[in-house]
Amino acid sequence: MSMSYVIKEGISGFRRTPLASLTAVIALMVSLILIGILARFYYSAYEIGTTIRNDIEIEVFLQDVPEDRRRVIRGELQALPIVDELTYISKDSAAAVFRELFGAEGTPLSDLSFLPASYRVRPVADVPADTLVRYLSVVRDIRGVDEVSFNIELLRLIDERLQTVLLVGGGLGLLILFTAMILVFNTIRLTIYAKQSIIRAMKLVGATNGFIRRPFVMEGILQGIIAGILANGLVLLFFTRILPYFIPQFGVIPWPFGRWYFLAGALMGLSVVMGLLGSRWAARKFIKDATLS
Amino acid sequence: MTSEQAEDTAVISFDGVSVTYESRLVLNQVDFRLRNGEFVYLIGQTGAGKSSFLKLIYREVLPAEGRVRVDEYDLGKMSNRQVPFLRRKLGIVFQDFQLLPDRSVYENVAFALEVTGNSGKFIKQRVVEVLSMVGLSNKRNQYPAELSGGEQQRVVIARALANEPRIMLADEPTGNLDPDASASIMELLQQINNRGMAVLMVTHNYDLVRQFPYRTIRINSGKLQDIPQSKIIAAAKR
Repeated sequence: MSMSYVIKEGISGFRRTPLASLTAVIALMVSLILIGILARFYYSAYEIGTTIRNDIEIEVFLQDVPEDRRRVIRGELQALPIVDELTYISKDSAAAVFRELFGAEGTPLSDLSFLPASYRVRPVADVPADTLVRYLSVVRDIRGVDEVSFNIELLRLIDERLQTVLLVGGGLGLLILFTAMILVFNTIRLTIYAKQSIIRAMKLVGATNGFIRRPFVMEGILQGIIAGILANGLVLLFFTRILPYFIPQFGVIPWPFGRWYFLAGALMGLSVVMGLLGSRWAARKFIKDATLS
Repeated sequence: MTSEQAEDTAVISFDGVSVTYESRLVLNQVDFRLRNGEFVYLIGQTGAGKSSFLKLIYREVLPAEGRVRVDEYDLGKMSNRQVPFLRRKLGIVFQDFQLLPDRSVYENVAFALEVTGNSGKFIKQRVVEVLSMVGLSNKRNQYPAELSGGEQQRVVIARALANEPRIMLADEPTGNLDPDASASIMELLQQINNRGMAVLMVTHNYDLVRQFPYRTIRINSGKLQDIPQSKIIAAAKR
């Protein structure tokens, strides 16, 4: 089959049914704008949550143990799979930190030697709270460890919130995608319905269903490309001009994975795939059911 | 001609074919042969089953029982994927012209060749050939709305001829035409038949059948009957 025929027919589909094609493009574009805006907000919320979570540290306070025991404890801590970074805080450093934190209010306590030495542990990112809790009991049992301090409630709260963000965001995204697919499917079906005479004529002269379908799928892809370009332009405009103008503090929220073009690329890809699937789905059914007389 | 010879040269054959629509028997144990290069009229009252008869041939309907063969295809055994290839062996002409209104005469004919995957050079050559065959070379750039009914039907015939089918199926091709245009379409079909193509034509127009006499069969109560020419003449006089 001639590719030029498919492209020519795909493009001329716009000319022949401009209103239906425009409706399909607008339906797709609106869905993509919603998905794009939601994606950036949800990504930011997720990233902020993850950053806070990763900042939570475990403090392992030591008894007054000799230097060689302290080294053994360090070795045992490093061997744990949950440990990413380990920092030793000596008694002197602890006193300095105390003074820095409390300033003049700390002066009545002229002797800060009661502050124990400790290891500050940064856990490996994304370790589930339950796993951390399990290992914390292992840490407590290490000989020479006096106390383990860790804000497990905060971690659990953040995990819960992150999960909610993911579930609600994912659910909303899927819902929008599904609605968009139905919209695109129906609008493309309308454009195909408007072309039933051409489908009948094609069947009449012996065109295969695949051949009849290809220009419609090409048209769907083109609709996807146009909707993707328009949606990307509007999403960029929203985040770079409209949102900072009305709510300046939102101007600093990060782009997913740090660069605008990741979101733009994802939206464009999604748009093309939706145009392709919507048109293929609609065309397949309609062409299969079309009769000659 | 023996039945075996007829089988050898038959481009369409029905053996004990029955068709039912919503439990109504439209065709009942029908046998039929259309031989290579033959011209046959199919007549019958409205709703008698003429269109179903044609639908069986281009496989829009499958028989409830019996066997339909078209050229080398056994229609009961062929897959849906093969149907387009069967239809390329058939030139199909309907009463409503089914032309694409936003394409010129040339494009309407070329379209039939494009969808069957022919090269651009061949398409140009073949379209010129078939348009000259139907006498429309000078109208190639006009659009269907700018043509008379007879001319539109000629474009449909040109489109049907483009892929050089072995059989022409015409479902009331003169149904929307005045007598002069009808006669001219009949002459065209006659010329096509004279070139060796088998023609099966559904019609209500007994005048045409009388004017251009060929084997005529009638569908009546689900059965096929061969009608002698004398009866046609008598019917036309009435």
